[in-house]
Amino acid sequence: MEPIVRVDEVTKRYRLGKQNYVDALRGASLEVAPGEMVAIMGPSGSGKSTLMHIAGCLDAPDTGEVWLSGRRVDGLRGRDLARLRGREVGFIFQGFNLVPTMSALENVALAAEYAGASRRSASIVAHTLLESVGLGDRMRHLPSELSGGQQQRVAIARALVNDPSIVMGDEPTGDLDTATSDEIVTLLRRVNREKGTTFIIVTHNPEVAAACDRTVHMRDGVVDGQVLAVGVYPA
Amino acid sequence: MRVLRSVFRRKMRALLTIFGITIGVLALVVMGSIAEKLSLLVDGGSDYYADKVIVSGTSGIGGFSTEPITTSLIDEIERVDGVARAAGSVMMLLDPEPSAVSMGVVANIQASDFRELGYETFDSDVVDGRALEPDDRGVAVIGADLVSKLDAEVGGTVEVRGREFEVIGILGKTLTAPDMAVQIPLADAQEILVADLPAAVRDTVEKDTLITSIAVYLEEGEDPDEMATVIGQEVDDVSVMGPAGFETSVKEPLKIFNQIIYAIAVVSLLVGGLSVINTMTMSVAERTREIGVRKAIGATDGAIMRQFIAESAVMGVIGGLLGLALGALVGIAGNQAGAQSATELFLLTPRLALGSVTFAIVLGVASGLYPARHAARLNPVQALRYE
Repeated sequence: MEPIVRVDEVTKRYRLGKQNYVDALRGASLEVAPGEMVAIMGPSGSGKSTLMHIAGCLDAPDTGEVWLSGRRVDGLRGRDLARLRGREVGFIFQGFNLVPTMSALENVALAAEYAGASRRSASIVAHTLLESVGLGDRMRHLPSELSGGQQQRVAIARALVNDPSIVMGDEPTGDLDTATSDEIVTLLRRVNREKGTTFIIVTHNPEVAAACDRTVHMRDGVVDGQVLAVGVYPA
Repeated sequence: MRVLRSVFRRKMRALLTIFGITIGVLALVVMGSIAEKLSLLVDGGSDYYADKVIVSGTSGIGGFSTEPITTSLIDEIERVDGVARAAGSVMMLLDPEPSAVSMGVVANIQASDFRELGYETFDSDVVDGRALEPDDRGVAVIGADLVSKLDAEVGGTVEVRGREFEVIGILGKTLTAPDMAVQIPLADAQEILVADLPAAVRDTVEKDTLITSIAVYLEEGEDPDEMATVIGQEVDDVSVMGPAGFETSVKEPLKIFNQIIYAIAVVSLLVGGLSVINTMTMSVAERTREIGVRKAIGATDGAIMRQFIAESAVMGVIGGLLGLALGALVGIAGNQAGAQSATELFLLTPRLALGSVTFAIVLGVASGLYPARHAARLNPVQALRYE
């Protein structure tokens, strides 16, 4: 099957000062099949977040090719990347990163509006999604009035609102306790199974990785090993 | 709504910034109201002086003189080629010792020989009672701004220079010179004029020949400025002023005065604009991470830019409207306080109101441009990492 994401020999150098730089990626490659749920693990500074950002059209590589849904995206800039991010990709972050002055409903609807939906239709889709993640009674609450797990559910609904083909999770359970973390992973798995959404999840948590179909290990800016999960979680 | 919530995320800071704009607009509205009042006054003067020549005594400045001249000059002027009519009038200060500081026209007494009838096009309407007629004595028509100072009503009396006058009419508001005038019969005015003269000369003059200025109406097609020169050459010992004379002696200085007034107000508003730039820059810095998130979920640079410009524009709108409201209140209160002494200083015109608020909004948008552009250009990955 044609992979939904293909990252081929990608390099990325971040300049910190005039002479000072970091090679975040030194020729990393990764293929993810549609509907697959992949965990990326590795020590800090191994390049896993950078790989995820580049695969998610948040950043452009210095060299190498990036393909998303059969389309080459590594040469795209600015507006085109923003459009792809809005429609093809969803993001979930460790710190939830909701807009603090907006209600749960508005936060979810915002992503739909950025993708071009009217305020009204964005609100309707957001409503449905928040109900599906179990927050039907919390829609008007501000992020500060929600628990960590609830905030992350809002963020998941936001990531799904434009029906993306792939969702990127940057340590999505990093700020949650074990029980809540389990709930979130179960929710992601459910979305993956029901909608066929592809997930790439950067994590330090072996239990999260174990819930995924496959774990990719990174070290020093390259992918250096892959493990296929064997039914730790009920399929 | 969303924009308002974002703006007021930091309430104190937003309020202080908005007050900065408010004070600027307040200054613009209050100062502008003074300038507008004076401009209208002088525009009225321009209309009045546009088609005629004013002759007065040599001590006059810009055609305004209380130095007596005699009616014999009227005949002399009417003999000049191109002159259609010359009309004599007396103009005196209502209060012989006016307060040292005054803006605009000082309260005055006016009387005319009615020779201007049929020639004068400048109209002041009597809104209550009737206008003066040639045979009246001991009666007065009161200008709009002097009504409350003199406590005048039709049928009542007013005291002018120690003499009682019966009020027979009240003039409508013209926003220019007649608002500050008490019109009385010429003979009454001449008596007052004579009484003002030094005792030594008082007995040597014939009081019914005394006037203070002559309005000269011209034949069709004569240029009033050229005629002013001609009259000046043919009639000795007088000061002659055409429309250009009014422009240079009154309008030009006023223009400079108004420019200074507006400049002060605009500077204070620009300071308000700087505080918007400061606030928006801080706001962008504080919300770097939020900007990263918005970009990650699909916001284009343009969407981010619009968001922040909308926020600074909202501060401009609120500040502008508050400033306009406060400025209007200051004007109303000021005019009410001044009504007793007939010093209406302020006039808030629609164009000034609209202009002030528009300026505040434009300033808000302009002040937001730089911070908004900075926000829009943030690299999403770096913005997301920002702590």
